[in-house]
Amino acid sequence: MRFADFTPFDLVLLAQGLGVSLALFLTTTVAGLLLGLGFAVVHHFRFPFVNPLIVAVTEALKNSPVLVQLFLVFFGIPALMQIRMTPASAAFITLSLNTAAFAFVIIRAGIESIDRDQIDAAEAFGLRRIQILRRVIGPQALAFSIGPIVGILVNQLQVTSLISVIGVFDLTKIGNILNLRTLEPFIVWAVIGSIYYVCAKILAHSGARLERRIRRSYAWGEV
Amino acid sequence: MRVWRVIEPYIGFLLQGFALTIFACLLAIIGAVILGGIVASMRASQRSALRWVAHAYSDIFRNVPFLVQLFFLFYGLPELGIYIGAFETGVIALSLAGGAFVSDVILSGIRSIDRGVIEAARVSGLNDVKVFLRIVLPIALRVSVRPVGSVLINLVLTSSILSTITVNELTGVAKIVAAETFKPFEVYAVLLVLYASFTTALSLAIVAWHRRLNRFMTGA
Amino acid sequence: MIRIKDLVKTFDDSTVLDGVTLDVNAGEIVTVLGASGSGKSTLIRCINGLERPSGGTITVDGNDVTTKAGLAASRRISATVFQLFNLYPHMTALGNITLAPVEVLGKSKAEAEEQARALLAKVGLAGHADKYPQQLSGGQRQRVGICRALAMQPRYILLDEVTSALDPETTGEVLDILQKLATEATTMVFVTHEVAFARSISTRIVFMEAGKLLVDMPTEEFFAENGGLAVPRIRQFLSQIRKD
Repeated sequence: MRFADFTPFDLVLLAQGLGVSLALFLTTTVAGLLLGLGFAVVHHFRFPFVNPLIVAVTEALKNSPVLVQLFLVFFGIPALMQIRMTPASAAFITLSLNTAAFAFVIIRAGIESIDRDQIDAAEAFGLRRIQILRRVIGPQALAFSIGPIVGILVNQLQVTSLISVIGVFDLTKIGNILNLRTLEPFIVWAVIGSIYYVCAKILAHSGARLERRIRRSYAWGEV
Repeated sequence: MRVWRVIEPYIGFLLQGFALTIFACLLAIIGAVILGGIVASMRASQRSALRWVAHAYSDIFRNVPFLVQLFFLFYGLPELGIYIGAFETGVIALSLAGGAFVSDVILSGIRSIDRGVIEAARVSGLNDVKVFLRIVLPIALRVSVRPVGSVLINLVLTSSILSTITVNELTGVAKIVAAETFKPFEVYAVLLVLYASFTTALSLAIVAWHRRLNRFMTGA
Repeated sequence: MIRIKDLVKTFDDSTVLDGVTLDVNAGEIVTVLGASGSGKSTLIRCINGLERPSGGTITVDGNDVTTKAGLAASRRISATVFQLFNLYPHMTALGNITLAPVEVLGKSKAEAEEQARALLAKVGLAGHADKYPQQLSGGQRQRVGICRALAMQPRYILLDEVTSALDPETTGEVLDILQKLATEATTMVFVTHEVAFARSISTRIVFMEAGKLLVDMPTEEFFAENGGLAVPRIRQFLSQIRKD
């Protein structure tokens, strides 16, 4: 059983896995939020035919299992289009789109929460629509959306564990490897779970701080 | 149609998987609501030890990925000498994770109840247990229908993860079909549409049910 | 009989009841008057056990309401009607009225429902038994609240500003019912702002000021020039009420 025991090198493995998970989480968060914001802005300007498409795609993403989306991108797209797809790029595409779908819904609600009168007033002052979006709607929508967005990011962090299923060597995959080698499921999964837990807590905590700061910098009272 | 030609021979097989998904979700939502109700009442209780235990449970199960929870049970339970099938393990894991979310929802339902209504029940001589079972819980459940519904929908989506521990529910059988037909795109696209239409139908039903139950309730 | 002796109730650092002593005998109708914040409602809430006294004693027919058993016994023989009705929103009028008789008094469901329907008919709500609170007007809700209290066949009824949340017209319907009740020899403790009504039904009036009982007099004496009205604070209070 000498090879089955835990070794100091396992810590390096864990750190690598965590690094992969976090890197994927961070890049897909940035890409997803930008894409979601883009969807929301396009939606706001009501281009013909585009809005129903955005809504249909985001609804489909929100209402289907991420695992199935991963399989569709990782196995389906290469087979259909005769291209190569690495597990990492499939993971990146899927998680970014997924985050974008949730971000879109939240940001759209944030934009729509703003009083029509304010926009009319801004128009009366001669601001152009893009200026109104940046100066009037943007900051308020941000303050409105930040809390729910932190909520979905905490969730998306957990969703990253699914990429292990298509062979990305993230934290959960490392867990699988250690589990098979040591046959100590309780220890392995408790450790893996704790690492995710701590990350989720740090994320939620800093998200709450950011939210407080943004709300304070606008210094609005209770609306 | 091309997609139909791929899927057609496997319709019966896919429906079997779908039935298993529904069965697992049905069992899990019953487990999650019962567990969530108990945990919510613990979190609302006067005793700090109960509150702490219940809060720790829901905090942990909401902040650790479901896949990790599932592996913990799937590989861990046999170590404890508990040998149950993958399906049973999956249902237990879904109930545990769902219960953590449901307890959150019911707890905020409990907190939203008008204090005066509870006082009226206490003054009429009902003991604490009866006040909870006849007044607090029924009202909390009524106002929680919609958010519990979102948990249920999430549960359905999460159930696809049971395929990773060899449960042949909808995603599990689709994997097999995709491998046999060499048409993964068609198979998974159909699967995605199936899940999306199922959860959309579910959410419409929940909204309707919520309206019906809360027809005569204040502020709902 | 309700016996209150040296009752003190403090919240954090404010004293809401400051040594109240009051006896209410069977068959009496006692009205508690006083400005808002004088401690009237807290007095009721101490009697029915919703607040725990900080000092002093309260017994209802000898049952000490600060003990668990005593409170349970006292709640079987007394009932409260609330300012904001506090009906159970998920139950029909009938359900609201029958819950405690079935669960606390152990009556059969059929018996409790028969009694509830009779009570509803008495307050003019015969056709509303199966409606939910949300479907009833404020006055109708309060009438259901009164039925819910009466269904316990209580020896004592505590009424906490039961018309304060109603508009003038519906206040009338509720007061009419209470007037009828008063003739049926139930003991009542009545916290209210309706001075004229208090004068017409109560046997005794107590006036509270800053957590203390300022006066405790038979109704006639309270409204007499050389009785209650001789107390400057009461004269001022009554003239203010009349102006409203």
